[in-house]
Amino acid sequence: MKLVIGGTAQGKLEYVLLKYDVQKNMVWDGVLPNDRKLNGNIVIINHFHQWVKSRMASGGCPEDEIMSFLDCHEDCIIISDEIGNGIVPIDPFEREYRERTGRILVQLAMRAEEVERIICGIGQKIK
Amino acid sequence: MMVLVVGGSGSGKSSYAEKTAVSLAQVCMKKYYLATMQVFDDEGREKVERHRNLRNGKGFFTIEQPTRISGALEKMAVGDRTVLLECISNLMANEMFSEEKAMTEMQVTENVIRDIKMLKAQTNHLVAVSNNVFEDGITYDETTAKYIQAMGKMNQKLAALADRVVEVVAGIPVIMK
Repeated sequence: MKLVIGGTAQGKLEYVLLKYDVQKNMVWDGVLPNDRKLNGNIVIINHFHQWVKSRMASGGCPEDEIMSFLDCHEDCIIISDEIGNGIVPIDPFEREYRERTGRILVQLAMRAEEVERIICGIGQKIK
Repeated sequence: MMVLVVGGSGSGKSSYAEKTAVSLAQVCMKKYYLATMQVFDDEGREKVERHRNLRNGKGFFTIEQPTRISGALEKMAVGDRTVLLECISNLMANEMFSEEKAMTEMQVTENVIRDIKMLKAQTNHLVAVSNNVFEDGITYDETTAKYIQAMGKMNQKLAALADRVVEVVAGIPVIMK
Protein backbone atom coordinates (compact mmCIF):
# COMPACT_ATOMS: atom_id res chain seq x y z
CA MET A 1 0.00 0.00 0.00
CA LYS A 2 1.10 3.50 -0.77
CA LEU A 3 -0.12 6.52 1.17
CA VAL A 4 -0.37 9.98 -0.39
CA ILE A 5 -1.22 12.89 1.89
CA GLY A 6 -1.22 16.68 1.78
CA GLY A 7 -3.37 19.76 2.15
CA THR A 8 -6.52 20.22 0.17
CA ALA A 9 -6.23 21.15 -3.55
CA GLN A 10 -2.53 20.30 -3.78
CA GLY A 11 -2.89 18.11 -6.86
CA LYS A 12 -2.66 14.79 -5.04
CA LEU A 13 -4.95 12.83 -7.38
CA GLU A 14 -3.36 14.27 -10.53
CA TYR A 15 0.04 13.39 -9.11
CA VAL A 16 -1.01 9.79 -8.53
CA LEU A 17 -2.71 9.38 -11.93
CA LEU A 18 0.38 10.66 -13.72
CA LYS A 19 2.94 8.80 -11.67
CA TYR A 20 1.25 5.41 -11.86
CA ASP A 21 -0.27 5.87 -15.32
CA VAL A 22 -3.73 4.79 -14.25
CA GLN A 23 -7.19 5.74 -15.45
CA LYS A 24 -9.73 7.74 -13.53
CA ASN A 25 -12.15 4.81 -13.54
CA MET A 26 -9.93 3.05 -11.02
CA VAL A 27 -10.43 5.86 -8.55
CA TRP A 28 -12.90 5.37 -5.71
CA ASP A 29 -14.03 8.64 -4.28
CA GLY A 30 -14.66 8.65 -0.54
CA VAL A 31 -15.72 4.98 -0.56
CA LEU A 32 -14.06 1.59 -0.34
CA PRO A 33 -14.89 -0.64 -3.33
CA ASN A 34 -16.40 -4.07 -2.87
CA ASP A 35 -14.51 -7.05 -4.25
CA ARG A 36 -16.67 -7.89 -7.26
CA LYS A 37 -16.03 -4.57 -8.97
CA LEU A 38 -12.24 -4.77 -8.90
CA ASN A 39 -11.18 -7.52 -11.34
CA GLY A 40 -7.65 -7.41 -10.03
CA ASN A 41 -7.13 -3.77 -10.95
CA ILE A 42 -5.07 -1.46 -8.82
CA VAL A 43 -7.30 0.38 -6.34
CA ILE A 44 -7.00 4.10 -5.72
CA ILE A 45 -9.01 5.51 -2.85
CA ASN A 46 -9.33 9.27 -3.08
CA HIS A 47 -10.63 11.59 -0.33
CA PHE A 48 -9.95 8.90 2.26
CA HIS A 49 -10.61 11.46 5.05
CA GLN A 50 -14.20 11.80 3.78
CA TRP A 51 -14.66 8.06 4.02
CA VAL A 52 -13.43 8.21 7.65
CA LYS A 53 -15.91 10.97 8.37
CA SER A 54 -18.83 9.14 6.78
CA ARG A 55 -18.01 5.92 8.68
CA MET A 56 -17.84 7.88 11.93
CA ALA A 57 -21.15 9.57 11.19
CA SER A 58 -22.85 6.23 10.63
CA GLY A 59 -21.36 4.73 13.76
CA GLY A 60 -18.80 2.50 12.04
CA CYS A 61 -15.25 1.77 13.10
CA PRO A 62 -13.03 3.14 10.33
CA GLU A 63 -9.88 2.03 12.20
CA ASP A 64 -10.80 -1.65 11.96
CA GLU A 65 -12.60 -1.44 8.64
CA ILE A 66 -9.66 -0.02 6.71
CA MET A 67 -7.27 -2.56 8.20
CA SER A 68 -9.56 -5.46 7.18
CA PHE A 69 -9.87 -3.95 3.72
CA LEU A 70 -6.08 -3.78 3.41
CA ASP A 71 -5.72 -7.39 4.52
CA CYS A 72 -7.47 -8.29 1.24
CA HIS A 73 -6.18 -5.41 -0.92
CA GLU A 74 -2.63 -4.69 0.10
CA ASP A 75 -1.86 -3.35 -3.37
CA CYS A 76 -3.65 -0.01 -3.29
CA ILE A 77 -3.02 3.71 -3.12
CA ILE A 78 -4.75 5.76 -0.45
CA ILE A 79 -5.03 9.52 -0.92
CA SER A 80 -6.03 11.65 2.05
CA ASP A 81 -6.10 15.28 3.02
CA GLU A 82 -4.16 16.27 6.10
CA ILE A 83 -6.84 17.88 8.25
CA GLY A 84 -5.20 18.24 11.66
CA ASN A 85 -3.20 21.41 11.08
CA GLY A 86 -5.64 23.94 12.48
CA ILE A 87 -7.30 25.34 15.56
CA VAL A 88 -8.95 22.57 17.57
CA PRO A 89 -12.66 22.85 16.67
CA ILE A 90 -15.32 23.64 19.26
CA ASP A 91 -17.71 21.04 17.80
CA PRO A 92 -17.03 17.65 19.46
CA PHE A 93 -17.65 15.60 16.30
CA GLU A 94 -15.27 17.77 14.26
CA ARG A 95 -12.67 17.49 16.99
CA GLU A 96 -12.97 13.71 17.11
CA TYR A 97 -12.90 13.53 13.31
CA ARG A 98 -9.55 15.34 13.18
CA GLU A 99 -8.01 13.25 15.94
CA ARG A 100 -9.19 9.92 14.61
CA THR A 101 -8.29 10.70 11.02
CA GLY A 102 -4.81 11.73 12.19
CA ARG A 103 -4.32 8.54 14.16
CA ILE A 104 -5.60 6.36 11.32
CA LEU A 105 -3.10 8.04 8.99
CA VAL A 106 -0.33 7.28 11.51
CA GLN A 107 -1.37 3.60 11.40
CA LEU A 108 -1.57 3.60 7.60
CA ALA A 109 1.84 5.29 7.33
CA MET A 110 3.32 2.54 9.51
CA ARG A 111 1.83 -0.10 7.25
CA ALA A 112 2.63 1.67 3.96
CA GLU A 113 5.63 0.75 1.84
CA GLU A 114 5.83 4.38 0.78
CA VAL A 115 4.43 7.68 2.06
CA GLU A 116 4.45 10.82 -0.06
CA ARG A 117 3.38 14.29 0.96
CA ILE A 118 2.18 16.54 -1.84
CA ILE A 119 2.66 20.31 -1.75
CA CYS A 120 2.00 22.50 -4.81
CA GLY A 121 1.68 19.34 -6.88
CA ILE A 122 5.17 18.22 -5.90
CA GLY A 123 5.64 14.92 -4.11
CA GLN A 124 8.00 14.68 -1.18
CA LYS A 125 8.80 11.13 -0.19
CA ILE A 126 8.78 10.98 3.59
CA LYS A 127 8.89 7.20 3.86
CA MET B 1 20.15 19.91 23.56
CA MET B 2 16.76 21.41 22.77
CA VAL B 3 14.34 19.76 20.35
CA LEU B 4 11.15 21.37 19.06
CA VAL B 5 8.49 18.92 17.84
CA VAL B 6 5.55 20.28 15.87
CA GLY B 7 2.54 18.60 14.26
CA GLY B 8 -1.23 18.69 13.90
CA SER B 9 -4.05 16.88 15.73
CA GLY B 10 -3.48 13.15 15.84
CA SER B 11 -0.15 13.46 13.99
CA GLY B 12 1.75 11.29 16.45
CA LYS B 13 3.83 14.22 17.73
CA SER B 14 3.43 13.29 21.43
CA SER B 15 4.56 9.76 20.88
CA TYR B 16 7.57 10.92 18.85
CA ALA B 17 8.49 13.62 21.40
CA GLU B 18 8.40 11.06 24.18
CA LYS B 19 10.66 8.65 22.33
CA THR B 20 13.04 11.53 21.66
CA ALA B 21 13.14 12.52 25.34
CA VAL B 22 13.71 8.92 26.41
CA SER B 23 16.54 8.44 23.92
CA LEU B 24 18.23 11.72 24.93
CA ALA B 25 18.09 10.99 28.65
CA GLN B 26 20.94 8.92 29.95
CA VAL B 27 20.21 6.13 32.38
CA CYS B 28 20.86 8.05 35.59
CA MET B 29 19.15 11.22 34.39
CA LYS B 30 15.80 12.25 35.86
CA LYS B 31 12.98 12.64 33.35
CA TYR B 32 10.23 15.18 33.88
CA TYR B 33 7.01 15.59 31.98
CA LEU B 34 5.60 19.12 32.21
CA ALA B 35 1.87 18.89 31.62
CA THR B 36 0.21 22.17 30.64
CA MET B 37 -3.33 21.03 29.88
CA GLN B 38 -6.06 22.13 32.27
CA VAL B 39 -8.72 19.48 32.65
CA PHE B 40 -12.33 20.65 32.63
CA ASP B 41 -14.34 17.63 31.43
CA ASP B 42 -14.36 13.93 30.58
CA GLU B 43 -12.75 14.48 27.19
CA GLY B 44 -9.85 16.25 28.92
CA ARG B 45 -9.58 13.45 31.45
CA GLU B 46 -9.51 10.86 28.65
CA LYS B 47 -6.76 12.75 26.85
CA VAL B 48 -4.67 12.94 30.00
CA GLU B 49 -5.29 9.23 30.59
CA ARG B 50 -4.21 8.33 27.04
CA HIS B 51 -1.01 10.32 27.38
CA ARG B 52 -0.35 8.82 30.82
CA ASN B 53 -0.65 5.34 29.35
CA LEU B 54 1.75 6.25 26.56
CA ARG B 55 4.32 7.38 29.12
CA ASN B 56 3.65 4.51 31.48
CA GLY B 57 6.77 2.63 32.54
CA LYS B 58 9.11 5.10 30.88
CA GLY B 59 10.09 6.73 34.16
CA PHE B 60 8.72 10.24 33.72
CA PHE B 61 7.89 12.28 36.78
CA THR B 62 4.85 14.44 35.94
CA ILE B 63 4.63 18.08 36.97
CA GLU B 64 1.34 19.87 36.32
CA GLN B 65 2.27 23.38 35.25
CA PRO B 66 -0.52 25.07 33.29
CA THR B 67 1.04 28.56 33.51
CA ARG B 68 4.41 30.13 34.32
CA ILE B 69 6.28 27.12 33.04
CA SER B 70 9.64 27.99 34.63
CA GLY B 71 7.92 27.43 38.00
CA ALA B 72 8.35 23.72 37.29
CA LEU B 73 12.08 24.10 37.97
CA GLU B 74 11.33 24.66 41.67
CA LYS B 75 9.63 21.26 41.76
CA MET B 76 12.58 19.34 40.31
CA ALA B 77 15.39 17.66 42.20
CA VAL B 78 18.92 18.97 41.69
CA GLY B 79 21.10 17.18 39.16
CA ASP B 80 20.94 16.06 35.55
CA ARG B 81 17.51 16.20 33.95
CA THR B 82 15.63 15.77 30.70
CA VAL B 83 12.38 17.68 30.36
CA LEU B 84 9.48 16.99 28.02
CA LEU B 85 7.15 20.00 27.77
CA GLU B 86 3.70 19.32 26.35
CA CYS B 87 2.42 21.45 24.92
CA ILE B 88 3.13 25.04 23.92
CA SER B 89 -0.34 25.58 22.45
CA ASN B 90 -2.07 24.85 25.76
CA LEU B 91 0.49 26.88 27.66
CA MET B 92 -0.08 29.87 25.38
CA ALA B 93 -3.87 29.55 25.63
CA ASN B 94 -3.64 29.33 29.43
CA GLU B 95 -1.37 32.36 29.63
CA MET B 96 -3.47 34.40 27.23
CA PHE B 97 -6.97 33.50 28.39
CA SER B 98 -6.91 32.48 32.05
CA GLU B 99 -4.80 35.23 33.58
CA GLU B 100 -6.80 37.78 35.52
CA LYS B 101 -4.76 40.72 34.42
CA ALA B 102 -5.03 40.92 30.67
CA MET B 103 -1.69 41.06 28.89
CA THR B 104 -1.11 41.70 25.25
CA GLU B 105 -0.15 38.67 23.19
CA MET B 106 3.28 40.28 22.70
CA GLN B 107 3.86 40.35 26.45
CA VAL B 108 2.65 36.78 26.82
CA THR B 109 4.97 35.58 24.04
CA GLU B 110 7.93 37.36 25.63
CA ASN B 111 7.17 35.94 29.07
CA VAL B 112 6.82 32.40 27.79
CA ILE B 113 10.03 32.64 25.77
CA ARG B 114 11.88 33.98 28.82
CA ASP B 115 10.53 31.04 30.84
CA ILE B 116 11.57 28.52 28.22
CA LYS B 117 15.06 30.00 28.03
CA MET B 118 15.31 29.43 31.78
CA LEU B 119 14.16 25.84 31.35
CA LYS B 120 16.65 25.27 28.56
CA ALA B 121 19.49 26.75 30.62
CA GLN B 122 18.73 24.58 33.64
CA THR B 123 18.13 21.23 31.96
CA ASN B 124 20.43 18.89 30.04
CA HIS B 125 17.79 18.22 27.41
CA LEU B 126 14.53 19.97 26.66
CA VAL B 127 11.96 18.55 24.26
CA ALA B 128 9.10 20.99 23.57
CA VAL B 129 5.91 19.98 21.73
CA SER B 130 3.96 22.57 19.76
CA ASN B 131 1.01 22.52 17.39
CA ASN B 132 0.56 23.44 13.81
CA VAL B 133 -2.66 25.49 14.12
CA PHE B 134 -2.09 27.49 10.96
CA GLU B 135 -3.52 25.64 7.99
CA ASP B 136 -7.28 25.33 8.26
CA GLY B 137 -8.01 28.38 6.11
CA ILE B 138 -10.68 29.67 8.49
CA THR B 139 -10.95 33.36 9.38
CA TYR B 140 -11.48 33.44 13.13
CA ASP B 141 -12.75 36.03 15.60
CA GLU B 142 -10.25 38.62 16.84
CA THR B 143 -9.28 36.73 20.00
CA THR B 144 -8.54 33.48 18.19
CA ALA B 145 -6.73 35.34 15.41
CA LYS B 146 -4.46 36.94 18.02
CA TYR B 147 -3.80 33.53 19.52
CA ILE B 148 -2.82 32.13 16.12
CA GLN B 149 -0.51 35.09 15.54
CA ALA B 150 1.09 34.60 18.94
CA MET B 151 1.52 30.86 18.31
CA GLY B 152 3.17 31.59 14.98
CA LYS B 153 5.64 34.00 16.58
CA MET B 154 6.18 31.55 19.40
CA ASN B 155 7.02 28.65 17.11
CA GLN B 156 9.47 30.83 15.19
CA LYS B 157 11.24 31.89 18.37
CA LEU B 158 11.32 28.32 19.68
CA ALA B 159 12.70 27.05 16.39
CA ALA B 160 15.46 29.66 16.60
CA LEU B 161 16.32 28.51 20.13
CA ALA B 162 16.17 24.80 19.31
CA ASP B 163 19.09 22.70 18.13
CA ARG B 164 16.72 20.44 16.23
CA VAL B 165 13.23 21.07 14.82
CA VAL B 166 11.08 18.15 13.70
CA GLU B 167 7.66 18.17 12.07
CA VAL B 168 5.72 14.95 12.64
CA VAL B 169 3.53 13.98 9.67
CA ALA B 170 1.38 10.84 9.97
CA GLY B 171 3.77 9.67 12.66
CA ILE B 172 6.81 10.22 10.42
CA PRO B 173 9.47 12.67 11.61
CA VAL B 174 10.46 15.22 8.98
CA ILE B 175 13.63 17.02 10.07
CA MET B 176 13.39 20.80 9.50
CA LYS B 177 16.54 21.90 11.31
